[in-house]
Amino acid sequence: MKKGNRSFGKILMALMIVFFYLPILYMVIFSFNEGKSLTSFTGFSLRWYKHMLESQDMMEALYTTFGIALLATFVSTIVGTISAIGLSKSKKIIRNLMEQVNNLPMMNPEIVTAIGFMLLFITFKVEKGYVTMLLAHIAFCIPYVMLSVMPKIRSLDPNLADAAMDLGATPWQALTKVIVPEITPGIVSGALIAFTMSVDDFIISYFVTGSGVKNLSIMVYTMSKRVNPSINAISTLVVVIITVALVIINVAPMILAKREKKTEMAKRKIFVPALAAVCIIALVIGIFNIGGKGSSLPYEGQTLYVYNWGEYTGENLIAMFEEQTGATVVMENFDSNEQMYIKVANGEAYDILVPSDYMIQRLMQEDLLQPLDHSRLDCMDNLVEAVVGLPYDTDNSYSIPYFWGTVGIVYDKTKVDVEDLEKEGFNIFLDEKYKGDIYLYDSERDSFMMALKALGYSMNTEDQDEINEAYDWLVQCVETMEPEIVTDEIIDNMAQGRKALGLIYSGDATYVMSENEDMGFYLPEDGTNQWSDAMVIPKNAKNPELAHEFINFVTSYEGAYDNSSYVGYTSANQEVMDELSGEGGDYEGIDAYIPRTDNEKDEVFVYNENTRKIISNLWSKVKIAASNAR
Amino acid sequence: MEKKKLIEFRNIVKNFDGQIILKGVNLDIYEKEFVTLLGPSGCGKTTLLRILGGFLEADEGHVIFDGEEISDKPPYERELNTVFQKYALFPHLSVYENIAFGLKIKKMSKDVIDQKVMKMLKLIGLEGFENKNTTLLSGGQQQRVAIARALVNEPKVLLLDEPLAALDLKLRKEMQYELKRIQQEVGITFIFVTHDQEEALTMSDKIVVMKGGEIQQVGTPEEIYNEPANKYVANFIGESNILPAVMLEDYKVRFDDITFDCVDFGFKKNEAVDVVIRPEDIDIVDVKDGKMTGEVLSVLFKGVHYEIIVETVPGTTVTVNMCVIRNQDVTSEDGKEKISASNFYVDLEDVKDLDDKEIIARSNAQAWDPESDEYISIAKIEYDLKEELGEYPVRFTTANGTSIERTIYVVNQPFVRNEKANEAVMAFNFFKTVDEIVESQALDTDIKTWANAQGWKLSDESQSIDISVDYNFEPEEVKEGIYPITFSTTGREFKIHTTDYTEVGQEVGLTFFPEDIHVMSRVVF
Amino acid sequence: MKKFSQLAIPYIIWAALMLILPMALIAIYSITEPGNSIISFSVTLEHYAKFFTDPDFLLILWRSLLIAVKTTVICLLIGYPVAYFIARSSERAQNILVMCITIPMWINMLVRTYAWIGLLSEGGPIQQLLSLIGLGDVELLYTEGAVLLGMVYNFLPFMILQINTALCKMDHHLLEAAADLGAHPVQTFWKVTFPLSLPGVINGITLVFLPAVSSFFIPKLLGGGQYFLIGNMIENQFITVGEWNFGSAVSMIMAVIMMLLMMLVRKVEKRNSGGKEE
Repeated sequence: MKKGNRSFGKILMALMIVFFYLPILYMVIFSFNEGKSLTSFTGFSLRWYKHMLESQDMMEALYTTFGIALLATFVSTIVGTISAIGLSKSKKIIRNLMEQVNNLPMMNPEIVTAIGFMLLFITFKVEKGYVTMLLAHIAFCIPYVMLSVMPKIRSLDPNLADAAMDLGATPWQALTKVIVPEITPGIVSGALIAFTMSVDDFIISYFVTGSGVKNLSIMVYTMSKRVNPSINAISTLVVVIITVALVIINVAPMILAKREKKTEMAKRKIFVPALAAVCIIALVIGIFNIGGKGSSLPYEGQTLYVYNWGEYTGENLIAMFEEQTGATVVMENFDSNEQMYIKVANGEAYDILVPSDYMIQRLMQEDLLQPLDHSRLDCMDNLVEAVVGLPYDTDNSYSIPYFWGTVGIVYDKTKVDVEDLEKEGFNIFLDEKYKGDIYLYDSERDSFMMALKALGYSMNTEDQDEINEAYDWLVQCVETMEPEIVTDEIIDNMAQGRKALGLIYSGDATYVMSENEDMGFYLPEDGTNQWSDAMVIPKNAKNPELAHEFINFVTSYEGAYDNSSYVGYTSANQEVMDELSGEGGDYEGIDAYIPRTDNEKDEVFVYNENTRKIISNLWSKVKIAASNAR
Repeated sequence: MEKKKLIEFRNIVKNFDGQIILKGVNLDIYEKEFVTLLGPSGCGKTTLLRILGGFLEADEGHVIFDGEEISDKPPYERELNTVFQKYALFPHLSVYENIAFGLKIKKMSKDVIDQKVMKMLKLIGLEGFENKNTTLLSGGQQQRVAIARALVNEPKVLLLDEPLAALDLKLRKEMQYELKRIQQEVGITFIFVTHDQEEALTMSDKIVVMKGGEIQQVGTPEEIYNEPANKYVANFIGESNILPAVMLEDYKVRFDDITFDCVDFGFKKNEAVDVVIRPEDIDIVDVKDGKMTGEVLSVLFKGVHYEIIVETVPGTTVTVNMCVIRNQDVTSEDGKEKISASNFYVDLEDVKDLDDKEIIARSNAQAWDPESDEYISIAKIEYDLKEELGEYPVRFTTANGTSIERTIYVVNQPFVRNEKANEAVMAFNFFKTVDEIVESQALDTDIKTWANAQGWKLSDESQSIDISVDYNFEPEEVKEGIYPITFSTTGREFKIHTTDYTEVGQEVGLTFFPEDIHVMSRVVF
Repeated sequence: MKKFSQLAIPYIIWAALMLILPMALIAIYSITEPGNSIISFSVTLEHYAKFFTDPDFLLILWRSLLIAVKTTVICLLIGYPVAYFIARSSERAQNILVMCITIPMWINMLVRTYAWIGLLSEGGPIQQLLSLIGLGDVELLYTEGAVLLGMVYNFLPFMILQINTALCKMDHHLLEAAADLGAHPVQTFWKVTFPLSLPGVINGITLVFLPAVSSFFIPKLLGGGQYFLIGNMIENQFITVGEWNFGSAVSMIMAVIMMLLMMLVRKVEKRNSGGKEE
């Protein structure tokens, strides 16, 4: 019977290990995949590693993660230990009170703690970035250190410090020579917990970061919507780093023990300086990375903060720009105009933003933008006429177009009858024939646009009843059609032909169609959103001069070509657009690449604070309804 | 009274990680006995108990309980219960629930459980404690609950694994009586494990002395005390004087060069044996009446009696000279440093072992700042030693150049051999200043170091022997001059328990009856 | 020794600033009208009213609690036997196994969750495996099952480690005592081992339930945009919608519910462990 138990346990353990390590192993394997797919291994290649090493973004995220973790561990271990010793000698009321306070970050849902920190930094106008992230990490790590040190202190002989001082030690010596060595096991395990928490943290970092500082978690979160095997590569790198660290931690003491007989002392003596050294190295690397490299170009040593959509720049654009100007570009990504607006409205400083039409209008209305200095710009002649002088900014005094396009339906020609599309337009999203086979796009604006157009209204309507009708339309859709509400995941999923239909931006459709011949793009006759994203310079930009330079570069042939050919969105540069859609171009024969400009029902979004709020709230209720419908 | 065999251990062998813990133990335990397994930690007594309890499996051998082989039975099917060393009370259960645990497992009806638990609480004197949390009880109370929890199941045998070890002395004594009372009241077999010989003697019907995984002796307390089977048992039980002896013939034993009458017989002629004489069996008499004579070394008052140590055969001694000399510190030119050191003697054989550190230690070289009294390290030592007899200069210098020169005497120091006692001692003459002697905090120890006094066994030079030091000057009043110092080893000492007071230093005679000499065959461990 | 107690003063100040103040700010935001200035605020309870009067919001809260409960129960059911087995192994094996369970926690949570996307997606290895037994078209990714799996995967180690610590701390003599008193292994487990490991179980439940109820990236990555939980709702309020006051109110509600639940759980534990101190 005992044996039966044991083999049951062994099987259980084996299953457990498989469960825990399968994803990690899978990740490691697919980091060597030649293709982009996450499901089929097409051949061995190191291209994703190359991509990772070339991507400054990824490497910086790696440095940030470990830099912050090491610094936070170092500081919180020291502060936590000293405070725990102090508290252990304090009055009982204070001790109990502090214990409760320390419980706050541990007993609260992490997201609440995160929001607390975010509100704190914003209320006191602390610029969010590396420092705020570090502070937050230290703040939530200290309680864990104290939690692990406290029991050790409690089990100490209370006379220990007295004995040391009786023998002539100063209080400081009593602390460092007697108390600290006695509680070292607690300190070490506290430090380990702090490190683990910090490395693993996402939620708190996500809410307190800014100025383009991101750690691995944030990077993965913002990048994960599009299949990007470089994530696998960098994850593999993390696995390797952790493994090496573990080996060092486990093997080093053994070697030391062999070399020196006084291991105990040696370990203690080496531990603190080693930790300190590592932290200093991390700090130096961090500073070095922010500092950048040296040569003699016009914008040497300057930094440009760009806030752009995720996966919205060409592969080489940033590198080319940096090479040309000598400046460093820090790029932060957003998912939606609204997300961007909140950060900008809260005073975070960027040099370049790439919002959409209606959002530019809003930013202009709220006086958050600075007028462009056209004497510095040499790009106006390159632009496609259709996107110059749009109603919200007739003389382009604030914005220069980046990409443009429409919103339409991507569909699988093998599953969807084009006649259905022609007949139903956007109402095809209510056609139960395609139940469970559709994607909606997680954008409040475009979802409501779709509903309003399907109902035959203007997408800029201010009529509450029409909006309510659109809301009901959407609720009906999510409740009856089992749609998946996605963002950029739609691109890869449609390219793989996973579902029949989806609401999509024309540029994404271009990419999908270039990857999969079975895919088509349809623009309903009821009209759609004709949008354009443009570069603007916010009022609080720190380096407007460099920002102008960046606008020039992006709209030049070189920059625009790299952008459009990589991302698939329609370029605002006439020459590039023609070349890419023309004979031999990347997007030859793909109708989605050239936006429709001849339908009278197509509209451009107009900003209206009141409807924005209503729509914003209603959309989150649609999502709630979708979630509740399952 | 005919007693029934209850438990039989047959050739029990147990290994842990390749270490033999039990080397084939055979033991019978009878009904209604209070049996004690006695021995030092690591002797295998607890292991034997745990094998009986079913918590360990023996590698070889059988355990027979009430005529039935139980080696393969799990603990929960054995009709015996255990009181664990640290009681192992369930912290999540109350006193009542702890005691009722075994009964509930047996699915007894609630009122029966209630009745039995209450009876037990009465037996252990803890009525009214039933709803208390066990972690809040005192050690003695926890102990009682543990006993009650085991006894309530009405086992045929109760195993107790050092149950009193965690209690303080007074409580321990109390519990000894308490346990004995309970055992007599419930009338079952108790098997009690302890390392405390007094506990064993007080409580047991039968004592099993164990050592190194083997049983040394089984017997009643009286047998074990009066007729120990060997030197080991004698030493472990009670206090005793144990000395090597030779059994010349039946009833004649010789030790310390004297032949004594005794009552023992059956040994080979001239067999080497051990002799034990209990301290209370020796009487102090006048020198002329004694079978042996000696000098009283110490007298300790022990309450009921005095414990007197008498040395019958003196130890080995050596006397050296201590030359007390003038202070002769050297002061640097600017007066900011002082340095001092002494000449010293060294044996020719030890010259090769001298290094800088050793020379500084032997010459007691030190430098200091006369104002702050802080020590300054000695930066340089110059000397040229050869492994030949003679005098060699040595110079100590500080970093600032203050220096002092002294002499190392390499001599051929004879040592005192004592073949009979199998030992040798040796010491050197030495030089010291008045200040050094006056300032010494532990003069005896310092003198041993200064004279480099050593004692060792002739048969094994690496085995050192304690030596004591004797001198006849008052340290506070020491002046320049030469003082003799004597180092000596311990001779043959007898421990005597008597109610008569005797002065230290007095010559006395010792006497005892032939039947007080207990001869034991020698065992080799 | 007064000197030592002064060592705590900087931390008390720090804690007031970095731990108490943020909570106070959430509370303040949750009862004020939207608006940029903090100085002139008017108190309102409309945010709370908005939450509690809308059945959709309440349903989301309920579903979030439900999935967190499911996650916790699964973690407990899997985690307990695993922890038990680890505690029963030799010390060497114990160290190795605990290490094995800790290592994945050092590899970022997001990264590990991301890895599941590939494993679960259509045509991925798990679906191929399932198709071998004729379950080929079962959709895996973007389902509640995927979210549940992701949560269990991420939070199970906490449960295992907590229970394991409690089991290892337990005096093994207690088990012998139970056997000695006639309890066979199953009885021993339910009457002694399990009650004594309860503090670990409670800690484990706390450490799994808390993050599970508020997680928003696991539902987002593995559940898709239509999988919307209370955590997503809070994130949405702060990151996209920008109604911080309402978001703060929802956060407050969640924090209070959690606190009440934890108090309840601790009370249950106390009763079960016979009122043992601490």
